[in-house]
Amino acid sequence: MINLAGRDILNGWGKFAFTGVGLGLLIGVTLSMAGIYRGMVEDATVLIDGSGADLWVVQQGTLGPYAEPSSLRDDVVRSIAGLPGVAGAGNVAYLTMQVSHGTGEARVMLVGFEHGRPGEPDHLVAGRPVTRGHYEAVADEKSGLKVGERVRIRRHDYEVVGLTRRMVSASGDPMLFVPLKDAQEVQFLKDNDTLVNERARTAANPAFNRPGVPGLLEAVQASQAQSRQVNSVLVRLAPGADADTVAENIRRWKRLQAYTKAQMEEILVAKLIATSSRQIAMFLVILSVVSAAIVAFIIYTLTVNKVREIAVLKLIGATNATIGGMILQQALGLGLIGFVVGRIVAGLWAPIFPKYVLLIPGDAARGFAAVMVICALASVVAIRAALKVDPAEAIGG
Amino acid sequence: MTVANDTPAIRIQGLKKRYGAGDTAVDALKGVDMTVAPGEVVGLIGPSGSGKSTLLKCLGAVIEPTAGRMEISGEAIYDDGWKLDDLRALRRDRIGFIFQAPYLISFLDVTDNVALLPMLAGARNADARARARELLDALDVGHRAAARISQLSGGEQQRVAIARALANRPPVILADEPTAPLDSERALTVVRILNGMAAKFQAAIIVVTHDEKIIPTFRRLYHIRDGKTHEEPGEGRAP
Repeated sequence: MINLAGRDILNGWGKFAFTGVGLGLLIGVTLSMAGIYRGMVEDATVLIDGSGADLWVVQQGTLGPYAEPSSLRDDVVRSIAGLPGVAGAGNVAYLTMQVSHGTGEARVMLVGFEHGRPGEPDHLVAGRPVTRGHYEAVADEKSGLKVGERVRIRRHDYEVVGLTRRMVSASGDPMLFVPLKDAQEVQFLKDNDTLVNERARTAANPAFNRPGVPGLLEAVQASQAQSRQVNSVLVRLAPGADADTVAENIRRWKRLQAYTKAQMEEILVAKLIATSSRQIAMFLVILSVVSAAIVAFIIYTLTVNKVREIAVLKLIGATNATIGGMILQQALGLGLIGFVVGRIVAGLWAPIFPKYVLLIPGDAARGFAAVMVICALASVVAIRAALKVDPAEAIGG
Repeated sequence: MTVANDTPAIRIQGLKKRYGAGDTAVDALKGVDMTVAPGEVVGLIGPSGSGKSTLLKCLGAVIEPTAGRMEISGEAIYDDGWKLDDLRALRRDRIGFIFQAPYLISFLDVTDNVALLPMLAGARNADARARARELLDALDVGHRAAARISQLSGGEQQRVAIARALANRPPVILADEPTAPLDSERALTVVRILNGMAAKFQAAIIVVTHDEKIIPTFRRLYHIRDGKTHEEPGEGRAP
């Protein structure tokens, strides 16, 4: 039996191809939306894996350090490092900020870490690790910074000595790693006018400027000019240690919150990017409905334009299954062209997106199945119209 | 005309068709009688609204008569009700259609337009195409077998339509104004072809026509007026 759908497509391949490309662009957008969601999840996973930590210790009652602000004293790390099951612990400070460099500005997540402890970037794609105590940085390559480039952070210039890859915040900002002391200074550094103003206020406070207590005022003023706070302590467990047990010990004895890797993933994926994922899901639904409407309209139009031929086919003995099959195959053919075009364009424009777009084969397979189902459903209207065609229409009168 | 045997290809007795019901009912056919022998070509003529198309649709099993009896090759297909379950198969296997315009399938080439019918009837593609090419050769359009429909002239398209009507070797062919869009010479050529095909394949052909150019070529005419047929002898001129 002749494949009527295939012959019709070949006969009007130009119209069909253009329609397929148009549909493909829409499918490409849909696949990209799914890729953006996957990219967000992947960024969150990489953020967790890239930190090298097994536990995150944060301020009690917070979801920090990524989802909520958290503040700890930087000496807490010593008491945590002494707990059973802990192989190492390191302070980290996080803050998102705008930094300037030779060719422009970049929005980054500044990460303060302690050399040789959890939180230090361990995979470099260029350059070397930070070895000096101050004013050196390792940047994620997505920031656009190059090795040897100088970047201005508040009052100081930092030299980029190494580059990492896929180290971004949950919101997609590239990370810039600097020594912890520098990050603390950046985080809590006050401008000169504020410092002068606060010193004057402190000096005017009789509680801090008591006659007969030498050195008290200077000590208070010194404490106001420096910060001993960090956002989190990252903990690496000893081999065989149970993460939940150690976390429970920290919660009970240190009056701090401790999250395991699984709990941190839950916070990032289910809480931090939950709204974004719902937003994307809405877009996917809308785009699917629009795609279905377009396919339905196109297939319906193609069918209506063939009413006389369908009447002749029915008159000469073609079954409803033959005619319905022809229309269904055309809808599926259109979907196939659209999917192929969509997958190609989604792959082509994914690197241009500012945020990571992850196109995974599973999503592509599900997308293909969805496109085929949508096209099949969209062809129902046209098939109904074709089946209503009276074969008598082929005969005049 | 040669008649193969005594059994008529088509026999219609008292065929009636009423559209609507009650006060608005219209009797399009009021008792049509018609007999056509195998290999015979008869003309069906009449003014507009006389019931020609209704009769053709009843014969073509696309609308159901209200009463009467229709036989094809001696088998009753309608006797105050359809006698067959599968009217689609009846149209496919035992009735050929030729329309005023060729109404060929634009997205199929010439061969496949003709081969489609045998394929729908279950023939293998190669056999169906071989039969199609044989018919196209017989109708002098074999050289256009691979052409697209849009590349054919009007006369060539009408020949392909005739080949399609003959593809399943039906005992009955219904032709609805087949020469209307053609000039005199081409119209007479089509009649010549129909006569030749009727003789060759022993098909009974009913030609509905208004065309004054071809009416004198029929040996027998059915004049339909007010829903009733009147048989008249034709001139039987050579086309």
